[in-house]
Parts: sequence; structure tokens; C-alpha cells
Amino acid sequence: MAEIELKNIAHSYDYKSENPTYALNPFSLTWEDGGCYAILGPSGCGKTTMLNIMSGLVSPSKGSVLFDGTDITSVKTEKRNIAQVFQFPVIYNTMSVYSNLAFPLKCRNFDENIIKSKVIEVAEILNLNLFLDKAAKDLTADQKQLISLGRGLVREDVAAILMDEPLTVIDPDLKFRLRRKLKEINEKYNTTLIYVTHDQNEAMTFAKKIIVMDSGNIVQVGNPKELFERPQTTFVGYFIGSPAMNIYDCAVLSDFDVSIGNIQLKTSTNLSNVKSGQLKIGIRSEFIKLVNNKSENTIEAKIEIVEDFGNYKLITVNKNNLIIKAKVERETTIPHDVVLLNIPAEHCCIYQNKNLI
Amino acid sequence: MNFKHKFAFLFPGLFVLIGILIFPIGFMIRLSLSSWDTFYPGLDFIGIENYVRLFTDDSRFWESFFRLSFLSVTTVSLQYIIGFSLALMVWRDIIFKRFFRVLFLIPMMTTPVIMTVIWRTFFHESLGPVNDILSIFGIAPPWLTNEHLAKVTIIIVEVWQWTPFMFLLLLAGLLSLPKEPFLAASVDGAGPIRKFIYVTFPLMAPISIGAIIIRLIEASKIMDTVYVLTSGGPGTSTETSSYYIFVKGLREFQFGYSAALSFTYLIIMIISLTIISKLLVKLLIKK
Repeated sequence: MAEIELKNIAHSYDYKSENPTYALNPFSLTWEDGGCYAILGPSGCGKTTMLNIMSGLVSPSKGSVLFDGTDITSVKTEKRNIAQVFQFPVIYNTMSVYSNLAFPLKCRNFDENIIKSKVIEVAEILNLNLFLDKAAKDLTADQKQLISLGRGLVREDVAAILMDEPLTVIDPDLKFRLRRKLKEINEKYNTTLIYVTHDQNEAMTFAKKIIVMDSGNIVQVGNPKELFERPQTTFVGYFIGSPAMNIYDCAVLSDFDVSIGNIQLKTSTNLSNVKSGQLKIGIRSEFIKLVNNKSENTIEAKIEIVEDFGNYKLITVNKNNLIIKAKVERETTIPHDVVLLNIPAEHCCIYQNKNLI
Repeated sequence: MNFKHKFAFLFPGLFVLIGILIFPIGFMIRLSLSSWDTFYPGLDFIGIENYVRLFTDDSRFWESFFRLSFLSVTTVSLQYIIGFSLALMVWRDIIFKRFFRVLFLIPMMTTPVIMTVIWRTFFHESLGPVNDILSIFGIAPPWLTNEHLAKVTIIIVEVWQWTPFMFLLLLAGLLSLPKEPFLAASVDGAGPIRKFIYVTFPLMAPISIGAIIIRLIEASKIMDTVYVLTSGGPGTSTETSSYYIFVKGLREFQFGYSAALSFTYLIIMIISLTIISKLLVKLLIKK
């Protein structure tokens, strides 16, 4: 196990051309030993490239990779002591489940007894112990993915287990259980887990720390609560949360007040220094409350749609052509025509040029 | 569209099939039941007499068949090993990759008969350059007149001529393989040998079987190389089934008997190639 540091890393797949396009723009990031991370972002944002740079499958155009302070940028994948699980299950078709799990240890010339005890231990964790003698190719897709994961777990000394959307092929119920299991593994063995996904739910329920990426840039690093309550950019606001954050253009009225069209709102952000730049206000639909009496930060709006999602209701209202979405509890009685919505000042995020003030 | 219209669309293809496949085979079977030769040309009916002769009184046919089996299995095995090695060599990024890929394909583009004539000149015992070079070491092997060496010569020529075909099929296969298994093997710490044994070879098994079967079918028809290089000699030591059938049919004009030989050969080939492909599938894929 090790602390992994990515120092001034940047990568372009056409680095030698005159105007290289960067899949990853320069950044530095440290992955603490034993951490449970998720890299979250839309397709093509550079998640997999970052993962492959850590495992050595891609050599970065710029910068260096350090494991516990040692530069391993030019060290081959085989020698890096890292485990990686791919999107689609990769198994050795000609081998049994046991041999598959034992393979990484055999390649490293471990003693047969150690291999056996380790394989049995990992097989028990992953509920594969009943299939050990079976041919790996006869297993189901999710069991095959467990084998891929197991090959990472058998090696006690791995610097990190990198997972590239590993649960794509697995059905939702098993996905949940597997995520739980991964967390248990992380807590039990203190193994660094880095999980790449484009599914925010997966990232939020799995990781203690989430790295949100967009177009080759790291836009925010934080825990699920921070990402949800204080998105650092409007992109994070849009990308995280379902439905996406309500984001509107706004203008400063006074130190703490803004206006969206002719709606006036109080915020908790000091805007006295905001002189120029495009201003936006973001409000999570979860924080908007349905109220009965008018007070400060209350908007009267016409209901357009009420959608029942089973565990909550989503109300879409229209106030002077401004569409606002609010999430309310399922049992809440919703008036037919007009509602009063309260927007708490402390949950208003103000963005200047798309960045949180 | 009614039933008859569908047939109207099928007929052109069906006619071609009957013309080029069904009729010749049917005629061959009928011919094999006759004694048509130069003395009595005509489709008389002698029952299975030709087949009785073939199974009881023609050891030369069976010898040529086993010789053919030996030659085709040996040449195809060598072609597979060499073709696979060359394909592996130019699969990854190496300098002059395109040049090598084209270079290895040249033998396949040449005309087999012409190349065999050139090879015969190469291996000529007193005039050929091969023995010229070997004479430096004081040896001059009788390439075409020794019964064992003549087989070796045929194998060399066949391997040279047809390895490119194997190379082409296997390279296409290698280029279509998914990347992930190789990346996973690297992550697991596998070296090049383990990667080949546990990743490349198993992934290539279906393509390998296809390539081997295609080549076995082609190799079992070997005729032009033998005809030009040794004419089946010395004696009958390089005579293969097809060459023997050619001798019986077009040298001795025993049309009826050679038809019986051809039909028997066809049946044996269908059965043996089916068994071989099943065995290969069992051995390489289901293992």
C-alpha cells in the first residue's frame, strides 16, 4: 500500500502534433493511503486516462507519478504493483476460478501454500468459494467480474485497486451489495480503492472523497455532502443531484441580495466585492420548501407538473417564465394551482463566471 | 408473392449449383461404376468392381494417401508455427511494420507452378545454387532423388508458398483481438510468455482452427508441386493421392477406376477433416 501522488500530470494522445489536444490538462493530486475515492465525470472527461496513467498503461505526456515519494513514471505496469478492474470482466478462459484468482500471485512466484490460503480467503469474501474448481468461462457475467476484482484483492501489497466502471455489467441489486462489499474490503484491509464512474449515485454511495472531472480538468474534490451542498462550479451543480441544480442568471442588488428577473432573493454570500462577471444563482431542489405563509425569500408560482417518483414528489413551477423544480416529501399535500415556495438564504450558491463565490 | 415466385428467384442459383457441383459429382459416381478406359470407352455398368479392386488390390493408393496425410499435416503445422510467429512479430509496433507485412505476403502472390520450377532449379543436384553453397561444407545432398529428401524438398516449397496465407489470416485475427485481456495480464504481472499462453493463444484459438482447416483442405489437394518437382518420384516415394488419381485417370486413361478413386478420396477427406476440426475445437476451445 502506498500514497500515490500525481505531480503536474498532463496527457495528450497526440502529444507530438503541432497543436496537441489534451485529454488531461495539467493538475496535481494526492491519493492518501487507504482512501476510498471515486472519479466522477461524463464520458470523455479523462477519467480512464487518469486511471491508466496510475496503472502505467498510459505514460503521461507531462509530469510524474510517485508511489510513496518514489518516482515510478517510467516503471512498467507489471512492476508497479497495482491492480485494475476493467469495465467488462476479463478472465483467463482456459483456467478454473481458482487458477484465475491465483494467477497474479503465481506470476510473482509466491509459495503454493500462501497462494492457496489467500485465494480461499478472497473467494470467501466474494462468495466464489463454491465455484473454485469450475471453469471460469462457465460463470455468469457478474461472477466473472468478481473474479477480476478478486485478482486485485489476492495481492496484499497492492498500492491501490483501480476500478474502471466495474459494475456496468452487473444488475442493480447485486451492484448495491458489491459496493457494500468493496467498502468493507476498504475498511478491513485498508486498501486504497479508486473507482471510476459516470454514475453519481454510485460515486456518492461508494466513496469518501469524490473527484469530479470535466473536459480534462478536475473541477472539484470533496466528500458527497460538500459536492451536494456547495458545488464549486455550475457544472458540478448540473452534474450532481437528481434533478440537476436550479441555476439562473442573476444580478446583485445589495451586499447579500440578488435579483432573478423581478424576483428578489436574500443569500448568505457577501457580494460586496462582486463588481463584474457573469453571475448565476444555484438552488438545489431538495432545499426548496413548500410553505403556507408569505415571508422573506418566498415565491408564489404556478404549478406546471407534479411528478410522483415513489419516494418523493417533484414539483415543477413557473414564475414569470422561470422554471423552478422542488423536491417534496411524498405525503405533502400540494395545492392545485399556485404554491408558495421558500428558498433558504443559506442554500443559495452564487457563481461568478461559473465558479462559486 | 406466392410460392412459385419464390422458386423463380431460387432457380438461377440452383441451376449453377447443379451445373458445377451436383452434376459432376453424380457423373463421377456413375463413372466409378463403369469400366470406361481407352479400350472400352463408354458408360457400361460393372457394379462395385472398381471399389473392390481399390480396397483389395491397390496398396499404391493407400500408400499415397498416408503419404499425403503425412505431408499435409507436416506442412500445415510448420505453416501455422512460422505464420503465427511472423504475425506476432509484425503485430506490435515495430519499425518498418508495413514493409515486413508486405514482404511476408510476396510468396502467396506468385504463381505456384512457376515458383516450383524455380525451386526445382534451386535444388538441382549438380546445377542448383543450394548444393553449390553446401559444397563449401563438403556436402551435396540429393534433394530430389533421395526418397526422404524429396519429401523434405516438397515440404520446404509448400511451406514457403503457403505460410503467407496463414500469416495473413492470423495477423487479421491478432489485430481484431480486444485490448483489455492484455492490459489485465500486464496488471497481474504476467510476462510475455505467460501472456502468450494464457491470453493470446486462447483468444486466437477459433481463428487458428479456421486457418488450419482451410489450409488442410488446400494442402490435401497438393498436386502441382509434386508434378513439377518430382513427378511422384523417386519411384512412388512422393506420390500423393491427387497425383496418383491424375496418373490413373490422365496418364493411363482408366477413367472408371480413377472416378472410383476420386469418390473414395472425397468421402475419406470429408470424414477425416470433420473429425480433425471437431478434435481441434475440443482441444483448443473446450479445454
